[in-house]
Amino acid sequence: MTPPLYIALRFLLHRKRAFLLSLCGVVFGVAIFICSQAQTEGFARQFINSTLGSNGALVLRSRFQPLGSGLPVPPKKSAVPGNNTQRRYLEGITNPREIMRVSRQFSNVAACSPVLRGTLSARSGFENATVDLFGIDAALHLQTTDLKKQLIAGDFENFRNDASSVIVGSRLAQELNLAAGDSVQLLSPGGEYWRFTVAAIARSGVGAVDAARIYSHPKIAQTLLRRPFAASMIIYKLRDPARAPALASQFEGLFQHDAQSWQEREAGNLQLFMTLRISAGITVSLIILLAGFGIFNVLTMSVLAKVKEIAILRSMGYRRSDISSIFLWQGAMIAVVGALLGCVTGAVLTWGVSKIPIRVRGLIVTDHFLVAWNWQHYFWAMVLAALAVFIASYVPARRAAYLAPVATLRGSSV
Amino acid sequence: MNHDVCLTCEGVERWLGEDESRVHALRGVSLTLEAGTVHAVVGPSGCGKSTLLYILGLLDQADAGSIAIKAEPVSHLPDDELAQRRNALIGFIFQFHFLLEDFSAQENVMIPMRRLGRLPENGMRDRARELLDAVGLGTKGARPSRHLSGGEQQRVAIARALANDPDVILADEPTGNLDTENSHRAFSLLQGIVAERGKALLLVTHNPQIAGLCDWTHEMEDGRIVNARQRA
Repeated sequence: MTPPLYIALRFLLHRKRAFLLSLCGVVFGVAIFICSQAQTEGFARQFINSTLGSNGALVLRSRFQPLGSGLPVPPKKSAVPGNNTQRRYLEGITNPREIMRVSRQFSNVAACSPVLRGTLSARSGFENATVDLFGIDAALHLQTTDLKKQLIAGDFENFRNDASSVIVGSRLAQELNLAAGDSVQLLSPGGEYWRFTVAAIARSGVGAVDAARIYSHPKIAQTLLRRPFAASMIIYKLRDPARAPALASQFEGLFQHDAQSWQEREAGNLQLFMTLRISAGITVSLIILLAGFGIFNVLTMSVLAKVKEIAILRSMGYRRSDISSIFLWQGAMIAVVGALLGCVTGAVLTWGVSKIPIRVRGLIVTDHFLVAWNWQHYFWAMVLAALAVFIASYVPARRAAYLAPVATLRGSSV
Repeated sequence: MNHDVCLTCEGVERWLGEDESRVHALRGVSLTLEAGTVHAVVGPSGCGKSTLLYILGLLDQADAGSIAIKAEPVSHLPDDELAQRRNALIGFIFQFHFLLEDFSAQENVMIPMRRLGRLPENGMRDRARELLDAVGLGTKGARPSRHLSGGEQQRVAIARALANDPDVILADEPTGNLDTENSHRAFSLLQGIVAERGKALLLVTHNPQIAGLCDWTHEMEDGRIVNARQRA
């Protein structure tokens, strides 16, 4: 143990109340930081998992043609590849099997599935609703999404084996008073109602999906929607969803179809979560900053109280750097002990918060607080605490190092 | 008596304060401390005794003149080097003992040794015990220094000043805060140590009896040594 560390430890332990006060500030700040980050990320992660499980990580949609292509002379505002404003879109995917065959060659593509999508009216008893119809290939869709896991009533096999059955979103089912085994009517553009059996009810956790979506077999959807093409989009499950934007860009160039990553699709919601996270981070950082002010005060008072001891140590040959080390070590000990205790408290607090019941039926669906267990929260909380404590300790430590011992010794001996 | 020169200063000048309150505290002071000798500096308050002591102890810098310890000039050394010399070669004793209150007597004696780092923990403990024994406090080493009497605290300060076996001991009115009995006891202790261990002791004192017992008495007035006499 170095002499400054030894002396720092003794000084700290002899001022227990001040030490505990400083420690509490750091523990509290670190714990709240961890807990708030765990919550905001928990909700965001739930939303991302739900949206990936329902809509895939990447969606290939309408075919496009760059405007001005084929002209002998390009227009003045020449088309820039990838610029949406310079495209003409043609609805539907005419060769989904070929596109999917090529897509599967990409290492990041885990699975893909064609979907025929359209809007219809649904009726059950006296209730009506506008629905978002998804005509899906049952086998491929299961590989691409979490639909089977999302079922809260009924059986997916009933849907697979019965072409006149549908799967209904949970909130839509609630609105139409539907349960598994009930009948629902879908209104075709020709004005006739088609009757279907509800094979299952699905809850994805994404409010917009659960409130409007109905899954049917693809041929039925094509007939109902009167579409000439078998798929209006292809949804992809990716091994690394984070790289979806890069793949979307590649697919656009390769297939000449509009491709949208989940990050682009959910940009608004993701920004909302990010804003909440930053906001919580700033608020909690202020708490840590306040703890830093507390430590600054405690150490400044300690320097003032130890002026005589500093002069004695200097007279005994302790260097300026030793003196500043004594106070920096005190700060470091507060930071280390505070950060470790703060991490434990933060973990307990996070666990406690995850048990708090809360009924959310909006952007996401949950019955309790959502938290994310992420080591980065602990790491950054400790870094923040260490930084705040170092800054708080540095000024008093420097001040202590430059105290003139003679002034103190002379003052005391007169 | 060993007559090796432990410390010399030559033409030391020191101004204190600023602007109108500037005082010429030391005016060309020269002094030589030999091993095994006890020097007293006497004079009225404000004559520059303590200033001289702090400069010789490398706690303060002279504005002019030179200081050498064991024939090595030290005036020009940077602060860290001065601290190192102070730690290894000089022992301080102050009027108000200046012990670290939160530490035991033994821990106080060990503080300079910790900085020097020559001995392991056990070695430091043994040496501290030995020094406390020498000052008659062998049984009180574990006691917090604030629980010791004034005389005992001053003896701990003496033991602490000897911790690193320094060549020079500088004492600023070491008996000034003690009663007559304790004053003589503390001084006898210091005198014995100087004689036995070949140290040089410079002490600032107002006590003429103590000064009369020293080998040399340097009388200061207005920043100068006006008279230096050896004990007959």
